[in-house]
Amino acid sequence: MSHIHLPDGILPVWLWVLGFIVAIMVGTILLRLIKKEELTKRLPLLGMMAAVMVLGAAVEIVPIAYHVNLTVISGILLGPSLIFLATFIVNLILALFGHGGITVIGLNTLTLSIEGVLGYFLFRLFWKIFKRLTPATFLATFIALLFSTFAMIGVVSLGTSHYEKLIHQEGKGIFEFHLSGEKDDHHEGEAKESEVNLKRFMAIILSLGFMGWMLEGVITALICRYIYRLRPDLLHLEKVTL
Amino acid sequence: MIQLSYLDYIAVERKSFLHRLSPKLKIIGMVFVLLGIVTLRNLPGLLPLYGILLALFFLSRTPTKIFFLTLYPLVFAVLFISISGFQIHFILLIFLKVLCGSTGVVLLLATTPYPSIFSVLGRVLPSSFVTALFLTYRSIFILLNILEETQHALYLRGGFQWRHPWRSLINISNAFGHLIIKGIDASEKMYESMVLRGFKNKIYYRGD
Repeated sequence: MSHIHLPDGILPVWLWVLGFIVAIMVGTILLRLIKKEELTKRLPLLGMMAAVMVLGAAVEIVPIAYHVNLTVISGILLGPSLIFLATFIVNLILALFGHGGITVIGLNTLTLSIEGVLGYFLFRLFWKIFKRLTPATFLATFIALLFSTFAMIGVVSLGTSHYEKLIHQEGKGIFEFHLSGEKDDHHEGEAKESEVNLKRFMAIILSLGFMGWMLEGVITALICRYIYRLRPDLLHLEKVTL
Repeated sequence: MIQLSYLDYIAVERKSFLHRLSPKLKIIGMVFVLLGIVTLRNLPGLLPLYGILLALFFLSRTPTKIFFLTLYPLVFAVLFISISGFQIHFILLIFLKVLCGSTGVVLLLATTPYPSIFSVLGRVLPSSFVTALFLTYRSIFILLNILEETQHALYLRGGFQWRHPWRSLINISNAFGHLIIKGIDASEKMYESMVLRGFKNKIYYRGD
């Protein structure tokens, strides 16, 4: 659910440009930190896990408009550095199919990689505490998804004044282009209306999201259990209780 | 996503004027479409853009079956329009922006083979990134084959039954787990064969 399914032209320019800048900076730093030989060796695995995430995103659970991201399981298998690059690629490919705009790739990468990176560290932490695979994976996935969904809501709420302009655009000029996030004077009533609407958006996202987090938590835990039974070496764990 | 292979097939097999156009020009065209979507804030501005894209879509003789792919992002747009208090102008604006973006990218993919797109991207993006992009795209096709086999196996064994949701969930998760393990095995084999062919962190395209 943390994937920002916004089309191009909805978020303010300063926001998505900033998203790209931060994503590129983080990506460049992480690429520098990984040894070139290690990266070359793990590129096919990265490609394969990114493809798994793309396929996961294609399986739509229609009643709640949810799709599994499989970012946490990919994060556990790839590690925190490579998952960032993988989410960048996944978002680019998904955007090429109209699944989220091209301009929101940077922001989507940041929110989705929160899920992968946090999922990896939480999984390691919970495994140390519980020494049991299923609860560790479920909790890591649930909390990681919760955080990334709030990050996504945070990003969407940053553009509130911009949406108001779009809503009240009717009858105005055809073109408008603002690079800065300047604020216009708004009537008190309009501001209140926008606040209410954002609350409605949050209510929908969080209620649908909760079902999705539970579902993805269970699916990820079951996937992890299946992988442990067949290829325990992939999880880099010792003496696990299912 | 299953239509990805079909999309790739028509990008290579069809011979319209858009198919013959240089990939670089088509990507520049797509950038202009994006610029239009970002800057146009009114229905009279977006309608002609969508009209042009639709005309190009049908002039390039892209099958109607593919057209439905451009409508898919509307599912997610419905979630977002709740923010506006369901005002008709805002809904139409969002829907048009969604349709312009999705029609543009689907048109690009339906008329340009993906190695050509990656080749152009390789001139501006780091080689590791473009290689990872190429490998992801290749892996999608490998996984789609595995997914098809797994789906058949699951259906034959009664894997998905609404009457038994927990069992179905376990089966779906096992199918994903199977997909991941098979995928990782395939990626290890792919890496070995790439090294045998002299792979050194960069994939070269025809004409490089």
